[in-house]
Amino acid sequence: MERFVIIGAGAAGIRAAQTLRKFRPEDLITVISIDDTVHSRCMLHKYLGHERDAQGISFVEADFFEKNDITHIAGEKVTKIDTGLKMVYYGEQYSAPYDKLLIAAGSGFFIPPIPHFREAPNVFGFRDFSDALKIDEAFLKGKRVFIVGSGLVGLDAASALCERGAQITIAEMAPRVMPLQTDDYAASIYQKAFEAHGCKFLLGVGATDAVVDEKGNITEVILATGEHIPCDFIIMAAGVRPRIEIAQNSGIAAERAIQVDDHLRTSAPDVYAAGDCTGLSGVWPDAAAQGEAAAENMAGIDTVYEKPYPFKNTSNFFGVTMLSVGRLDLTEGAEILIHRTPKEYKKAIIKDGKLTGYLSLGDISNSGLYLHLIKNGIDVSGKTDKIFRLSFSDFYGINEKNGEYAYSVS
Amino acid sequence: MKRIFIDPTKCDGCKNCSLACMEAHRQDGGTGIYTLDLQDPSNQSRNRILTDGKGGYNPIFCRHCDIPDCAGACMSGALQKNMDNGLVEYDAEKCAACYMCVMSCRYGVPAISPDRKRVIKCDFCAHLEEGPACVRACPKKAIEVREV
Ligand SMILES: Cc1cc2nc3c(=O)[nH]c(=O)nc-3n(C[C@H](O)[C@H](O)[C@H](O)COP(=O)(O)OP(=O)(O)OC[C@H]3O[C@@H](n4cnc5c(N)ncnc54)[C@H](O)[C@@H]3O)c2cc1C
Ligand code: SF4
Ligand code: SF4
Ligand code: SF4
Repeated sequence: MERFVIIGAGAAGIRAAQTLRKFRPEDLITVISIDDTVHSRCMLHKYLGHERDAQGISFVEADFFEKNDITHIAGEKVTKIDTGLKMVYYGEQYSAPYDKLLIAAGSGFFIPPIPHFREAPNVFGFRDFSDALKIDEAFLKGKRVFIVGSGLVGLDAASALCERGAQITIAEMAPRVMPLQTDDYAASIYQKAFEAHGCKFLLGVGATDAVVDEKGNITEVILATGEHIPCDFIIMAAGVRPRIEIAQNSGIAAERAIQVDDHLRTSAPDVYAAGDCTGLSGVWPDAAAQGEAAAENMAGIDTVYEKPYPFKNTSNFFGVTMLSVGRLDLTEGAEILIHRTPKEYKKAIIKDGKLTGYLSLGDISNSGLYLHLIKNGIDVSGKTDKIFRLSFSDFYGINEKNGEYAYSVS
Repeated sequence: MKRIFIDPTKCDGCKNCSLACMEAHRQDGGTGIYTLDLQDPSNQSRNRILTDGKGGYNPIFCRHCDIPDCAGACMSGALQKNMDNGLVEYDAEKCAACYMCVMSCRYGVPAISPDRKRVIKCDFCAHLEEGPACVRACPKKAIEVREV
């Protein structure tokens, strides 16, 4: 009987546990997580917006652990691994032995070194369920919210709180909202949608200092312009860092992220890593896929994990939907095509006959093939006149063996 | 496990399959093609018949893939591969309308609902004992349910 231990109950950890159970019906599987409950970070805003309860933002059934005979050690933090003794240390004094171990600790939010921000008790992240609980509590005392960063995480938090009548100010260092996923026009559409719901944006400015009360709580944020913005609490959404402390404490190779090879093995024998903590990507589908690949390798099924294509996202705020794939920022020597109607905005970036970026705002139905074309560098020359109307029909092929499809590309 | 097998060479583009799909999933309580509102986007077909540019047709149907990228990308548990019947099933209650599934299906199958709150995708007519309406509507046997 082999003992599998997984650190983390997020996208990667849970997918790994499911996969291990599939291939190893009899072996011992233990999941240790700081998270008390399983939840999808991508749905935290639904909890914060009081649209769903805790179980409503879980991505597994309530009886997941019992049904799959997996031990969940919840609410415990792993501090260190003894890779020689093959032992995981958690809580104050507990330990768990393993034969194969997976680190799927995700990433944490980052607070830039602005005076008072790192110490103030009213500065929150927005990653864990516990963060949502803290924000919920703070919201009882004051509704003036200052959000640092207008990426997907910052806007998720803003969308949830503005529905509850918050007075929101969002500061963004870049000159537009969601700078990584948008161009100026797409950003302006989202900005207007949020402004229509009462959010205020400060673009191209950063916070440089703060005024604190006697308890150290920030009461005013001071901007680079010298302006003071009064607030009741702050949400930090200005970047994440892979969680590498466990690896660092245990002599496992990690610089900005935990180093893994093409089988998701770390530098220590029988220790694997998957998800955001590997720094390979920062989106749910990739974290889950890594969890699955790592688990297969742990179960003895040789699986090569191909590096993910990380530049991809979708968003849906107030019914404004967007698909953003590839590099919209790399336009040198590229052809840029734009299609704009009152209801739609689409942009394609084409370089050497290949799509390198694609943005679609509006009805994004049936648009999954654009990610496939970009990720695989599929030639689209000769098709650029209908670049916004491409479909699988343009690459149609059937896999005769199982009746699925297959891309036919010349 | 069953799959709708497609023979594009037999398809003549009549779109009976699409009408049958719309009829099988209409929400207005009516029955019969004559009362089906073809303009109502909430009645949209889950399959699409597209021209191949050479006078023929390419039917696009959900493959209920062996390894479904849509379900692999789903962050709410709404889309899941049912290992018993092989179908990639969708639960609108769980769905968070994030549309990562739309982005991840390389065949461009999932569509988004007009209210931007759900995904529209083939459910193999789970509510019909006789099986997928499209297959029964096809006069050319271009689409057929087969065991895989
Ligand atoms: C607000 C928000 C919205 C998002 N929206 C989207 C979206 O719409 N689409 C998308 O694709 N992605 C989205 N993401 C990103 C996505 O959530 C992550 O990529 C994904 O969750 C990463 O999965 P993971 O398993 O690597 O880590 P996580 O899901 O972060 O899980 C990490 C787990 O490790 C545990 N852990 C950490 N350290 C320890 C320790 N020392 N001891 C024990 N346990 C530990 C944690 O408790 C947690 O259970 C969003 C992220 C956030 C924060
Ligand atoms: S939606 Fe796409 S990925 Fe999902 S099962 Fe259907 S064809 Fe496969
Ligand atoms: S839109 Fe719904 S079904 Fe699709 S990935 Fe998101 S939560 Fe899953
Ligand atoms: S019903 Fe059959 S022949 Fe008609 S369009 Fe559909 S697949 Fe083609």
